[in-house]
Amino acid sequence: MRQPLPSPVNVEPPQGWKPSDLHDPFEAYVGPLFEREENGERIFGFIADERHADETGAVHEGMLMTFADAFLGGAAHRGAGERSCVTLSLQASFLTEARAGDFIECRTRIDRTTRAIIFVSGRFSVGDEDVMTATSLWKVLGER
Amino acid sequence: MSSRQVDTSGFGAYAGPVLRNEAGAFTFEIADHHLNGADRLHGGMMMTLAAIVLGAVARETAAEKTPGATVRPLSLNCDFVSAGEKGDTVEGRADVTRATRTVLFISGELRVGSRMLMTATGVYAISGAEKA
Repeated sequence: MRQPLPSPVNVEPPQGWKPSDLHDPFEAYVGPLFEREENGERIFGFIADERHADETGAVHEGMLMTFADAFLGGAAHRGAGERSCVTLSLQASFLTEARAGDFIECRTRIDRTTRAIIFVSGRFSVGDEDVMTATSLWKVLGER
Repeated sequence: MSSRQVDTSGFGAYAGPVLRNEAGAFTFEIADHHLNGADRLHGGMMMTLAAIVLGAVARETAAEKTPGATVRPLSLNCDFVSAGEKGDTVEGRADVTRATRTVLFISGELRVGSRMLMTATGVYAISGAEKA
């Protein structure tokens, strides 16, 4: 098993969360990212800091989509029976701003699985408020 | 041709730098920390580039129409056409498809040379325009 990559800043996970093992350099660079299990469902989260915000203090949509790519991709990978998947398409709707200091959570759902394509959606929230929804298409490598 | 950095604060600078030359084209060099576990440009970084390029064109379009106007992204759709490799120089461009008083439709692409990496469309809300 490869060693997870370290993130450049040290952030304590919130109570009940643990750091995700990150193997993609860009995910480690924007991390740490966290996860926990709730009734068998894996939930992901990160604490937005100044690195992730724009000049107004709002979390940059690129960071939100990077977080989405990481964990919608993880869901696709598990949905594909642990085979490798690549992103074909990702659409994000930005419902309201997230701010530096917010803890942003991601819940994923597999919408459909075919032999070669996995459809995954995600809901991103801060507390009780949804900040982004995303839908995505993933290609299972080696399948047609 | 001289270039200047765009999106110079926060995440744009942390993930970048993204440069823009006098002809309006955006450029970005892929480094080690931008990669995924397969040594290709990470999908999140690719979408970040699209967000920076489309967002910059949206912002300048809004400001041309109404001085002081700002934009907020409502939707971004990114299609992953091919992969980027370490050392590649990615070129980005974006155009305004339609501008209404309150909403901008932007379409853009990322390429390495003649190879298309990503096509993207974005919808942006203009704020500060109601005073126009």
